Amino acid sequence: MDQLDAATDPLLTVDIATDGAGTPIVTIAGELDIGNIDAVDTAVAPVLLTRPARLIVDVGGLRFADSSAIALWVRWAASVDEFELRNPQPLLRKVIKMMGLAEKMELDP
Amino acid sequence: MLWVPAVVLLLGVLVTGTLAWVSHDQYRRNEQRLLGLRVRDAGALLTAALPDIQSELASAAELADATNGNVRKFTRFVAPYVGTGPGKQFVSVSLWRLADPERGPVAVTGAEPKLGSAISEASAFFARAAASAKLGVIGLLRPPGLRLGYAFATPGVTGGFVAYGESQLPADRRSAIGGTSAFAGLDYALYLGSDQRFRDLLITSQVRLPLPGPTDSVTVPFGNSALTLVMSSRVSLAGSLPQRLPWIIGIVGTLLAVGASAGARRLTERRRFAEDLASRLEVSSSENRRLYAEQRSIAQTLQHALLPDALPQVPGVQTSAQYRAGARGVEIGGDWYDVIDLGDGGLLLVVGDVSGRGLPAATTMATLRYAIHAYAAQGDPPTRILTKLSDLVSVADNHQLATVLCAVVDIERRTISITSAGHLPPLVISGGVGEYVELKAGLPVGVETGTSYTSTTISVPPGATFLAFTDGLVEHRDDLEQGLSRLRDAATCDDTGLPELVSRLMEELSYDPSPDDSVILGLRWTS
Repeated sequence: MDQLDAATDPLLTVDIATDGAGTPIVTIAGELDIGNIDAVDTAVAPVLLTRPARLIVDVGGLRFADSSAIALWVRWAASVDEFELRNPQPLLRKVIKMMGLAEKMELDP
Repeated sequence: MLWVPAVVLLLGVLVTGTLAWVSHDQYRRNEQRLLGLRVRDAGALLTAALPDIQSELASAAELADATNGNVRKFTRFVAPYVGTGPGKQFVSVSLWRLADPERGPVAVTGAEPKLGSAISEASAFFARAAASAKLGVIGLLRPPGLRLGYAFATPGVTGGFVAYGESQLPADRRSAIGGTSAFAGLDYALYLGSDQRFRDLLITSQVRLPLPGPTDSVTVPFGNSALTLVMSSRVSLAGSLPQRLPWIIGIVGTLLAVGASAGARRLTERRRFAEDLASRLEVSSSENRRLYAEQRSIAQTLQHALLPDALPQVPGVQTSAQYRAGARGVEIGGDWYDVIDLGDGGLLLVVGDVSGRGLPAATTMATLRYAIHAYAAQGDPPTRILTKLSDLVSVADNHQLATVLCAVVDIERRTISITSAGHLPPLVISGGVGEYVELKAGLPVGVETGTSYTSTTISVPPGATFLAFTDGLVEHRDDLEQGLSRLRDAATCDDTGLPELVSRLMEELSYDPSPDDSVILGLRWTS
């Protein structure tokens, strides 16, 4: 579907797809920080406008994320009933746990 | 063929003239662009320094409202900002009741307010300030001396209060920029309001106005008014080479043309040389490097301006703190630290990190810093302070969240009571052993309102050291655990003085050019 790719930001790709149950899956790969956070927010905004009950964000391919990325996910999490952050790298997982956000982001223990 | 040298000479002079003119035009435009950049930087510096004045008065008014006009608490809160010297914003701060300013100020710190002499004016001004819910700017108050007056009014729940401050301006309204400042070589004039009228002039570096040469200006909001900054440059901003370039081209070109008229064959070759010289000198990568370095130093200056000037000196303990901008430090970050004297042998240590960068992060940082001061002054414990901070930041509205660590230190009992809003745990070192304090961290500030927090109290042996820090110090792109153990090992490997320890940790751990900014704050019992 929508793709924000190398043409606009060589460090970041965002893919939006839907799984069998109709849940939107946003896949973010590369490096996410204050410099490109708005581009990601804009790309995902139409999905949030459809008010999905559940949103999955797959960050398995994300090499770097700063605190503004976490702020973005917290904001998305607040606009859906269930929010799952899938496959975070170990550093990101620990940071989220340390911030007390593990439950909000449905991180598996 | 007598006409050939003459034509060659004419052509040579024409080409040289054109090149010199183009080069001069380029230089002029470049100067204007650089001036524009400097003015924008100065405007950003101004915008970031203004929340200081606004938050101090706003916090003081809120504090008065929450304590129903407690004079002692108000005086104690504003005292650090009144006087002369660095960090002192006001010569006079006073507290007034919004309902009856005719009765004069409830409390005055510093000099007598000039406003006191025109009570009828004060009533109207306070009413306007209360209606705007912003900082009200009354304008310039004249002789004797020259002061700028502003007020923050809160209708509040207990009748309403106004915190009113006056800042002293130099009598001749002149102040030069220091030779070592990032803005050295520039002339400026700062006006109140959006027009450049002489009677609204606050301060300038020049004797005569308007400023000579090309100028650029920026207007930034200031409470219910605005500030307009006009700048011009006394020296060439791009350095002396581009300034001299048109002359160099002119002279070299003319010489070439004269020489070429004797040997027309060599003209093309030399002209290419002159053009090549011009283009190579014009676009130099060193200019970009210089601009980057300058931006970075402005960002650092700004950040340091927003951090405490000096930590309070309290017997029984020693404190030390350092801030370092990240490698991406062309913009200011959102990290801060603070040490607040609670009186009676108590200290409140604060370390925080606002997500994001630039002015939004710095403004939120300043707001949170002063709010913590105000809540602490009215006697709130950190668990309540952190809950209240959630009303000031919202990830949904400002796209920001903040992690904050508060530690209340009882110097005599040697206990530390720690409350964390999603922040990294602090390190406690004693007898050569370092341990991270196990905490139940609450949600970061801004995730949701009404979050509750719990505090963990530990007691420590004599001579113990407490270190709080932000993630820039331990979070490189490797493992967080690894970063934390690296900090612990580095902190326990010798026993130097506290300031040396803090500087060394900053030096050793942020070597990796960390993209993020870093803060480290330490406290050690001296007995």
